[in-house]
Amino acid sequence: MSGEACRVSLEQFEGPLDLLLYLIRREELDIREISLAVVADQYLAYVRRAEELDLEVASEYLVMAATLTSIKSRALLPGREGEEEEGDSAEALLRQLVLYRAFREAAEDLRENESVWRNAFPAPGERERWAPGQGIPVPQGQFTIVDLLEALESLVEQEGEPALGTLERPRLTIAQCIAAIAESLPPGRRVALKAIVGPAATRLRLIGFFVALLELVRRGWVEFRQTVPFGDITFRRTARWAERCSTDSQEA
Amino acid sequence: MLDRLARGIEALLFASERPLSLQDLCDLTGSGPESAATALEAVRSSLEEQGHSILLVELAGGWRLVTDPDLGDLVSQLFEERRPGRLSRAAIETLAVIAYNQPCTKAAVEAIRGVDCDSAIRSLLERDLVRICGRQETPGRPLTYATTGQFLSYFGLSDIEHLPRKREIDELLSSGPVPEQPGDLFEQSG
Repeated sequence: MSGEACRVSLEQFEGPLDLLLYLIRREELDIREISLAVVADQYLAYVRRAEELDLEVASEYLVMAATLTSIKSRALLPGREGEEEEGDSAEALLRQLVLYRAFREAAEDLRENESVWRNAFPAPGERERWAPGQGIPVPQGQFTIVDLLEALESLVEQEGEPALGTLERPRLTIAQCIAAIAESLPPGRRVALKAIVGPAATRLRLIGFFVALLELVRRGWVEFRQTVPFGDITFRRTARWAERCSTDSQEA
Repeated sequence: MLDRLARGIEALLFASERPLSLQDLCDLTGSGPESAATALEAVRSSLEEQGHSILLVELAGGWRLVTDPDLGDLVSQLFEERRPGRLSRAAIETLAVIAYNQPCTKAAVEAIRGVDCDSAIRSLLERDLVRICGRQETPGRPLTYATTGQFLSYFGLSDIEHLPRKREIDELLSSGPVPEQPGDLFEQSG
Protein backbone atom coordinates (compact mmCIF):
# COMPACT_ATOMS: atom_id res chain seq x y z
CA MET A 1 0.00 0.00 0.00
CA SER A 2 2.63 2.46 1.03
CA GLY A 3 4.52 2.11 -2.23
CA GLU A 4 1.53 3.18 -4.23
CA ALA A 5 0.50 5.74 -1.70
CA CYS A 6 3.82 7.47 -1.90
CA ARG A 7 4.19 7.63 -5.59
CA VAL A 8 2.99 11.16 -5.42
CA SER A 9 4.99 13.66 -3.42
CA LEU A 10 3.80 16.11 -0.82
CA GLU A 11 4.64 19.03 -3.04
CA GLN A 12 1.56 18.65 -5.13
CA PHE A 13 -0.69 19.16 -2.15
CA GLU A 14 -1.83 22.45 -0.75
CA GLY A 15 -1.18 21.34 2.79
CA PRO A 16 -2.27 18.53 5.10
CA LEU A 17 -6.00 19.06 4.58
CA ASP A 18 -5.59 18.76 0.84
CA LEU A 19 -3.63 15.53 1.26
CA LEU A 20 -6.21 14.13 3.66
CA LEU A 21 -9.07 14.92 1.30
CA TYR A 22 -7.17 13.30 -1.52
CA LEU A 23 -6.66 10.11 0.49
CA ILE A 24 -10.27 10.00 1.65
CA ARG A 25 -11.54 10.48 -1.86
CA ARG A 26 -9.16 7.90 -3.23
CA GLU A 27 -10.52 5.37 -0.75
CA GLU A 28 -14.03 6.43 -1.74
CA LEU A 29 -14.88 7.27 1.85
CA ASP A 30 -17.08 9.93 3.36
CA ILE A 31 -15.71 12.57 5.62
CA ARG A 32 -16.29 10.73 8.89
CA GLU A 33 -14.26 9.94 11.93
CA ILE A 34 -13.79 6.32 10.93
CA SER A 35 -12.41 7.45 7.58
CA LEU A 36 -9.71 9.42 9.34
CA ALA A 37 -8.58 6.29 11.16
CA VAL A 38 -8.54 4.39 7.86
CA VAL A 39 -6.37 6.86 5.97
CA ALA A 40 -4.13 7.79 8.93
CA ASP A 41 -1.51 5.18 7.98
CA GLN A 42 -1.40 6.35 4.40
CA TYR A 43 -1.03 9.91 5.52
CA LEU A 44 1.84 8.95 7.82
CA ALA A 45 3.46 7.03 4.97
CA TYR A 46 3.47 10.18 2.85
CA VAL A 47 5.08 12.24 5.55
CA ARG A 48 7.64 9.54 6.37
CA ARG A 49 8.48 9.15 2.72
CA ALA A 50 9.02 12.86 2.34
CA GLU A 51 11.29 12.82 5.36
CA GLU A 52 13.24 9.87 3.97
CA LEU A 53 13.79 11.83 0.80
CA ASP A 54 15.22 14.54 3.00
CA LEU A 55 12.55 16.96 1.96
CA GLU A 56 11.60 19.58 4.38
CA VAL A 57 8.19 18.65 5.73
CA ALA A 58 6.17 21.69 6.68
CA SER A 59 5.26 21.73 10.36
CA GLU A 60 1.55 21.70 9.49
CA TYR A 61 1.97 18.19 8.09
CA LEU A 62 3.58 17.04 11.31
CA VAL A 63 0.89 18.58 13.51
CA MET A 64 -1.72 16.79 11.42
CA ALA A 65 0.24 13.53 11.67
CA ALA A 66 0.10 13.81 15.46
CA THR A 67 -3.63 14.54 15.40
CA LEU A 68 -4.31 11.58 13.12
CA THR A 69 -2.20 9.25 15.23
CA SER A 70 -4.15 10.22 18.29
CA ILE A 71 -7.48 9.79 16.50
CA LYS A 72 -6.44 6.40 15.25
CA SER A 73 -5.23 5.21 18.62
CA ARG A 74 -8.52 6.23 20.11
CA ALA A 75 -10.36 4.24 17.46
CA LEU A 76 -8.32 1.18 18.43
CA LEU A 77 -8.69 1.65 22.17
CA PRO A 78 -12.23 2.80 22.82
CA GLY A 79 -13.39 4.04 26.18
CA ARG A 80 -10.12 5.53 27.35
CA GLU A 81 -9.95 8.49 29.64
CA GLY A 82 -9.75 11.87 28.02
CA GLU A 83 -11.88 10.47 25.25
CA GLU A 84 -14.02 13.53 25.05
CA GLU A 85 -11.16 15.83 24.38
CA GLU A 86 -9.85 13.70 21.57
CA GLY A 87 -13.32 13.28 20.21
CA ASP A 88 -13.43 17.03 19.96
CA SER A 89 -10.19 17.13 18.04
CA ALA A 90 -11.59 14.61 15.55
CA GLU A 91 -14.77 16.61 15.28
CA ALA A 92 -12.88 19.83 14.74
CA LEU A 93 -10.78 18.18 12.08
CA LEU A 94 -13.84 16.80 10.31
CA ARG A 95 -15.44 20.20 10.28
CA GLN A 96 -12.26 21.69 8.99
CA LEU A 97 -12.17 19.11 6.21
CA VAL A 98 -15.76 19.80 5.22
CA LEU A 99 -15.12 23.53 5.16
CA TYR A 100 -11.89 23.21 3.28
CA ARG A 101 -13.51 20.94 0.72
CA ALA A 102 -16.30 23.46 0.17
CA PHE A 103 -13.78 26.24 -0.41
CA ARG A 104 -11.68 24.07 -2.63
CA GLU A 105 -14.71 23.39 -4.77
CA ALA A 106 -15.59 27.08 -4.78
CA ALA A 107 -12.01 27.76 -5.87
CA GLU A 108 -12.46 25.29 -8.71
CA ASP A 109 -15.60 27.13 -9.79
CA LEU A 110 -13.73 30.41 -9.65
CA ARG A 111 -11.01 28.80 -11.73
CA GLU A 112 -13.60 28.11 -14.43
CA ASN A 113 -14.74 31.72 -14.27
CA GLU A 114 -11.13 32.76 -14.56
CA SER A 115 -10.65 30.68 -17.71
CA VAL A 116 -13.58 32.40 -19.37
CA TRP A 117 -13.26 35.94 -18.13
CA ARG A 118 -9.56 36.47 -18.33
CA ASN A 119 -10.22 36.11 -22.03
CA ALA A 120 -12.78 38.89 -22.10
CA PHE A 121 -11.08 42.20 -22.73
CA PRO A 122 -12.91 45.28 -21.60
CA ALA A 123 -12.84 48.56 -23.43
CA PRO A 124 -10.62 50.36 -22.83
CA GLY A 125 -9.19 51.23 -19.44
CA GLU A 126 -8.65 48.02 -17.64
CA ARG A 127 -5.97 46.58 -19.84
CA GLU A 128 -3.78 49.58 -19.15
CA ARG A 129 -3.16 47.79 -15.90
CA TRP A 130 -0.85 45.60 -17.81
CA ALA A 131 1.13 48.36 -19.44
CA PRO A 132 4.78 47.47 -19.09
CA GLY A 133 6.67 49.07 -16.27
CA GLN A 134 3.57 50.30 -14.61
CA GLY A 135 3.24 49.63 -10.93
CA ILE A 136 0.23 48.33 -9.15
CA PRO A 137 -2.75 50.49 -10.02
CA VAL A 138 -4.29 52.01 -6.96
CA PRO A 139 -7.56 53.89 -7.20
CA GLN A 140 -7.37 57.34 -5.76
CA GLY A 141 -7.72 57.47 -2.01
CA GLN A 142 -7.05 53.77 -1.70
CA PHE A 143 -3.45 53.66 -0.70
CA THR A 144 -2.80 50.80 1.63
CA ILE A 145 -0.08 49.43 3.79
CA VAL A 146 1.19 47.47 0.82
CA ASP A 147 1.90 50.69 -1.04
CA LEU A 148 3.90 51.89 1.91
CA LEU A 149 5.79 48.63 2.10
CA GLU A 150 6.56 48.79 -1.58
CA ALA A 151 7.68 52.36 -1.35
CA LEU A 152 9.93 51.34 1.50
CA GLU A 153 11.24 48.41 -0.49
CA SER A 154 12.07 50.59 -3.44
CA LEU A 155 13.95 52.91 -1.12
CA VAL A 156 15.92 50.03 0.28
CA GLU A 157 16.76 48.97 -3.26
CA GLN A 158 17.97 52.42 -4.11
CA GLU A 159 20.18 52.43 -1.08
CA GLY A 160 22.22 49.69 -2.72
CA GLU A 161 23.64 52.29 -5.10
CA PRO A 162 25.82 54.86 -3.45
CA ALA A 163 24.59 58.42 -3.63
CA LEU A 164 26.51 60.39 -6.22
CA GLY A 165 26.66 63.71 -4.40
CA THR A 166 30.06 65.09 -3.35
CA LEU A 167 30.80 65.59 0.30
CA GLU A 168 33.11 68.53 0.91
CA ARG A 169 35.80 67.54 3.31
CA PRO A 170 37.59 70.43 4.96
CA ARG A 171 41.09 70.38 3.54
CA LEU A 172 44.14 71.59 5.34
CA THR A 173 47.47 71.11 3.58
CA ILE A 174 50.83 71.05 5.26
CA ALA A 175 51.80 74.08 3.17
CA GLN A 176 48.83 75.98 4.59
CA CYS A 177 49.94 75.01 8.08
CA ILE A 178 53.49 76.15 7.46
CA ALA A 179 52.23 79.46 6.13
CA ALA A 180 50.15 79.87 9.29
CA ILE A 181 53.11 78.89 11.44
CA ALA A 182 55.21 81.57 9.78
CA GLU A 183 52.76 84.08 11.20
CA SER A 184 52.13 82.59 14.61
CA LEU A 185 55.80 81.81 15.25
CA PRO A 186 57.60 85.10 14.79
CA PRO A 187 61.41 85.11 14.81
CA GLY A 188 63.05 85.04 18.24
CA ARG A 189 59.97 84.02 20.22
CA ARG A 190 59.20 80.70 21.84
CA VAL A 191 55.57 79.70 21.27
CA ALA A 192 53.60 76.75 22.64
CA LEU A 193 51.97 74.26 20.26
CA LYS A 194 48.57 75.17 21.64
CA ALA A 195 49.10 78.80 20.74
CA ILE A 196 50.25 77.89 17.23
CA VAL A 197 47.26 75.67 16.56
CA GLY A 198 44.96 78.35 17.87
CA PRO A 199 41.77 78.25 19.88
CA ALA A 200 39.71 76.33 17.27
CA ALA A 201 41.81 73.19 17.60
CA THR A 202 39.95 70.55 15.68
CA ARG A 203 41.58 67.19 15.39
CA LEU A 204 42.37 67.98 11.78
CA ARG A 205 44.09 71.25 12.69
CA LEU A 206 46.00 69.67 15.53
CA ILE A 207 47.35 66.89 13.30
CA GLY A 208 48.05 69.26 10.43
CA PHE A 209 50.05 71.69 12.51
CA PHE A 210 51.84 68.92 14.37
CA VAL A 211 52.92 67.25 11.12
CA ALA A 212 53.94 70.64 9.72
CA LEU A 213 56.03 71.36 12.80
CA LEU A 214 57.61 67.91 12.62
CA GLU A 215 58.54 68.68 9.03
CA LEU A 216 60.05 72.01 10.04
CA VAL A 217 61.97 70.32 12.85
CA ARG A 218 63.24 67.70 10.39
CA ARG A 219 64.48 70.41 8.09
CA GLY A 220 66.05 72.15 11.06
CA TRP A 221 64.09 75.38 10.63
CA VAL A 222 62.44 75.04 14.01
CA GLU A 223 63.61 73.67 17.33
CA PHE A 224 61.37 72.44 20.07
CA ARG A 225 61.41 71.80 23.78
CA GLN A 226 59.28 69.76 26.12
CA THR A 227 60.34 70.11 29.74
CA VAL A 228 58.27 67.31 31.27
CA PRO A 229 56.53 64.29 29.71
CA PHE A 230 53.09 65.31 28.41
CA GLY A 231 53.96 68.91 29.17
CA ASP A 232 53.55 71.78 26.77
CA ILE A 233 55.71 71.60 23.68
CA THR A 234 57.20 74.94 22.69
CA PHE A 235 58.79 75.90 19.38
CA ARG A 236 61.24 78.52 18.20
CA ARG A 237 62.62 79.42 14.80
CA THR A 238 66.23 78.58 14.17
CA ALA A 239 68.66 80.68 12.21
CA ARG A 240 68.21 78.25 9.35
CA TRP A 241 64.62 79.44 8.74
CA ALA A 242 65.82 82.93 7.95
CA GLU A 243 68.63 81.63 5.70
CA ARG A 244 66.28 79.32 3.92
CA CYS A 245 63.72 82.00 3.36
CA SER A 246 66.24 84.41 2.02
CA THR A 247 67.59 81.85 -0.44
CA ASP A 248 64.00 81.01 -1.41
CA SER A 249 63.23 84.61 -2.13
CA GLN A 250 66.50 84.92 -4.04
CA GLU A 251 65.58 81.91 -6.15
CA ALA A 252 62.18 83.36 -6.71
CA MET B 1 -30.79 51.44 -35.57
CA LEU B 2 -30.41 52.30 -31.92
CA ASP B 3 -32.17 55.33 -30.57
CA ARG B 4 -30.34 58.36 -29.29
CA LEU B 5 -30.24 57.25 -25.65
CA ALA B 6 -29.03 53.74 -26.52
CA ARG B 7 -26.29 55.16 -28.75
CA GLY B 8 -25.24 57.49 -25.97
CA ILE B 9 -25.07 54.66 -23.48
CA GLU B 10 -23.11 52.52 -25.89
CA ALA B 11 -20.60 55.33 -26.36
CA LEU B 12 -20.25 55.88 -22.62
CA LEU B 13 -19.65 52.19 -22.01
CA PHE B 14 -17.12 52.02 -24.81
CA ALA B 15 -15.11 54.94 -23.49
CA SER B 16 -15.40 54.30 -19.77
CA GLU B 17 -12.46 52.82 -17.96
CA ARG B 18 -14.64 51.36 -15.24
CA PRO B 19 -17.96 49.57 -15.19
CA LEU B 20 -20.87 52.01 -15.22
CA SER B 21 -23.83 51.28 -12.99
CA LEU B 22 -27.38 51.98 -14.03
CA GLN B 23 -27.26 54.96 -11.69
CA ASP B 24 -24.10 56.26 -13.42
CA LEU B 25 -25.80 55.96 -16.78
CA CYS B 26 -28.88 57.79 -15.53
CA ASP B 27 -26.74 60.58 -14.09
CA LEU B 28 -24.68 60.91 -17.26
CA THR B 29 -27.56 60.81 -19.72
CA GLY B 30 -30.14 62.53 -17.57
CA SER B 31 -32.62 59.76 -18.19
CA GLY B 32 -34.70 57.72 -15.78
CA PRO B 33 -33.70 54.23 -14.67
CA GLU B 34 -36.39 52.55 -16.71
CA SER B 35 -35.49 54.12 -20.01
CA ALA B 36 -31.79 53.59 -19.29
CA ALA B 37 -32.47 49.90 -18.61
CA THR B 38 -34.45 49.63 -21.84
CA ALA B 39 -31.64 51.31 -23.75
CA LEU B 40 -29.07 48.96 -22.18
CA GLU B 41 -31.13 45.99 -23.29
CA ALA B 42 -31.37 47.48 -26.79
CA VAL B 43 -27.57 47.79 -26.93
CA ARG B 44 -27.09 44.27 -25.62
CA SER B 45 -29.52 42.63 -28.02
CA SER B 46 -28.35 44.61 -31.03
CA LEU B 47 -24.76 43.48 -30.41
CA GLU B 48 -25.95 39.93 -30.00
CA GLU B 49 -28.32 39.84 -32.97
CA GLN B 50 -25.78 41.30 -35.34
CA GLY B 51 -23.22 38.75 -34.20
CA HIS B 52 -20.74 41.30 -32.92
CA SER B 53 -17.66 40.12 -31.07
CA ILE B 54 -18.36 42.71 -28.37
CA LEU B 55 -20.64 41.76 -25.50
CA LEU B 56 -22.45 43.91 -23.00
CA VAL B 57 -22.05 42.31 -19.59
CA GLU B 58 -22.73 43.18 -15.98
CA LEU B 59 -19.44 43.11 -14.10
CA ALA B 60 -18.31 44.40 -10.74
CA GLY B 61 -21.43 46.39 -10.04
CA GLY B 62 -21.84 47.94 -13.45
CA TRP B 63 -22.14 47.45 -17.17
CA ARG B 64 -19.21 46.96 -19.43
CA LEU B 65 -18.38 46.23 -23.04
CA VAL B 66 -15.96 43.35 -23.38
CA THR B 67 -14.66 41.22 -26.19
CA ASP B 68 -16.18 37.77 -26.53
CA PRO B 69 -14.16 35.34 -24.34
CA ASP B 70 -14.24 32.89 -27.25
CA LEU B 71 -11.86 35.19 -29.05
CA GLY B 72 -9.50 35.31 -26.08
CA ASP B 73 -6.64 33.53 -27.82
CA LEU B 74 -6.76 36.01 -30.67
CA VAL B 75 -7.06 39.16 -28.60
CA SER B 76 -4.62 38.16 -25.89
CA GLN B 77 -1.84 38.25 -28.47
CA LEU B 78 -1.97 42.00 -28.08
CA PHE B 79 -1.04 41.73 -24.43
CA GLU B 80 1.41 38.90 -24.48
CA GLU B 81 4.13 39.14 -21.86
CA ARG B 82 2.33 41.79 -19.91
CA ARG B 83 -0.82 39.91 -19.08
CA PRO B 84 -0.63 38.35 -15.62
CA GLY B 85 -0.70 34.57 -15.56
CA ARG B 86 -3.43 32.44 -14.08
CA LEU B 87 -3.63 32.36 -10.34
CA SER B 88 -1.80 29.61 -8.50
CA ARG B 89 -3.86 27.05 -6.68
CA ALA B 90 -2.81 28.48 -3.32
CA ALA B 91 -3.80 31.96 -4.45
CA ILE B 92 -7.19 30.99 -5.79
CA GLU B 93 -8.06 28.94 -2.69
CA THR B 94 -6.99 31.80 -0.46
CA LEU B 95 -9.02 34.17 -2.56
CA ALA B 96 -12.08 31.94 -2.27
CA VAL B 97 -11.81 31.89 1.52
CA ILE B 98 -11.45 35.67 1.68
CA ALA B 99 -14.29 36.23 -0.77
CA TYR B 100 -16.85 34.25 1.26
CA ASN B 101 -15.62 35.40 4.66
CA GLN B 102 -14.79 39.01 4.08
CA PRO B 103 -13.61 40.95 5.88
CA CYS B 104 -11.35 38.27 7.21
CA THR B 105 -7.92 37.91 8.78
CA LYS B 106 -4.97 35.90 7.58
CA ALA B 107 -5.38 33.63 10.62
CA ALA B 108 -8.95 32.85 9.55
CA VAL B 109 -7.80 31.92 6.06
CA GLU B 110 -5.10 29.72 7.49
CA ALA B 111 -7.56 28.06 9.86
CA ILE B 112 -9.58 26.93 6.87
CA ARG B 113 -6.75 26.03 4.52
CA GLY B 114 -4.52 24.53 7.20
CA VAL B 115 -1.37 26.07 5.71
CA ASP B 116 0.52 29.32 5.79
CA CYS B 117 -1.07 31.83 3.42
CA ASP B 118 1.40 34.67 3.62
CA SER B 119 2.74 34.56 0.10
CA ALA B 120 -0.67 33.81 -1.39
CA ILE B 121 -2.16 36.90 0.25
CA ARG B 122 0.77 38.97 -0.84
CA SER B 123 0.38 37.97 -4.46
CA LEU B 124 -3.36 38.67 -4.31
CA LEU B 125 -2.64 42.13 -2.91
CA GLU B 126 -0.15 42.77 -5.67
CA ARG B 127 -2.68 41.79 -8.29
CA ASP B 128 -5.28 44.03 -6.70
CA LEU B 129 -7.65 41.13 -6.19
CA VAL B 130 -7.83 41.70 -2.45
CA ARG B 131 -7.23 44.78 -0.38
CA ILE B 132 -6.52 45.50 3.25
CA CYS B 133 -9.77 46.83 4.60
CA GLY B 134 -9.01 47.39 8.26
CA ARG B 135 -8.04 45.76 11.49
CA GLN B 136 -9.92 43.36 13.68
CA GLU B 137 -10.36 44.62 17.21
CA THR B 138 -8.94 41.50 18.78
CA PRO B 139 -5.56 41.02 20.45
CA GLY B 140 -2.80 41.96 18.06
CA ARG B 141 -5.28 43.93 15.94
CA PRO B 142 -4.69 41.77 12.86
CA LEU B 143 -5.28 43.22 9.39
CA THR B 144 -8.45 42.20 7.64
CA TYR B 145 -8.78 41.57 3.93
CA ALA B 146 -11.63 41.95 1.45
CA THR B 147 -11.99 41.48 -2.27
CA THR B 148 -11.83 44.35 -4.77
CA GLY B 149 -13.80 45.42 -7.82
CA GLN B 150 -10.97 43.95 -9.84
CA PHE B 151 -11.77 40.61 -8.23
CA LEU B 152 -15.34 40.77 -9.54
CA SER B 153 -14.18 41.77 -13.02
CA TYR B 154 -11.53 39.10 -13.09
CA PHE B 155 -14.05 36.36 -12.39
CA GLY B 156 -16.88 37.88 -14.40
CA LEU B 157 -19.09 38.46 -11.35
CA SER B 158 -21.63 41.25 -11.16
CA ASP B 159 -21.43 41.39 -7.36
CA ILE B 160 -20.36 39.41 -4.34
CA GLU B 161 -23.79 37.77 -3.99
CA HIS B 162 -23.16 35.97 -7.27
CA LEU B 163 -20.18 34.00 -5.99
CA PRO B 164 -20.45 30.33 -6.95
CA ARG B 165 -21.87 28.10 -4.19
CA LYS B 166 -22.63 31.20 -2.18
CA ARG B 167 -25.60 29.80 -0.29
CA GLU B 168 -24.00 26.42 0.34
CA ILE B 169 -20.92 27.98 1.87
CA ASP B 170 -22.84 30.56 3.85
CA GLU B 171 -24.80 27.74 5.44
CA LEU B 172 -21.64 25.84 6.24
CA LEU B 173 -20.05 28.88 7.78
CA SER B 174 -23.11 29.75 9.83
CA SER B 175 -23.44 26.20 11.17
CA GLY B 176 -20.50 26.80 13.50
CA PRO B 177 -17.33 28.70 14.05
CA VAL B 178 -14.31 28.17 11.89
CA PRO B 179 -12.22 25.62 13.82
CA GLU B 180 -9.19 26.99 15.55
CA GLN B 181 -6.00 25.79 14.03
CA PRO B 182 -3.30 25.08 16.58
CA GLY B 183 -0.83 27.89 16.05
CA ASP B 184 2.52 27.21 14.51
CA LEU B 185 5.01 27.93 17.23
CA PHE B 186 7.67 28.86 14.76
CA GLU B 187 5.56 31.14 12.71
CA GLN B 188 7.13 34.48 12.23
CA SER B 189 5.08 37.32 13.46
CA GLY B 190 4.00 39.96 11.02
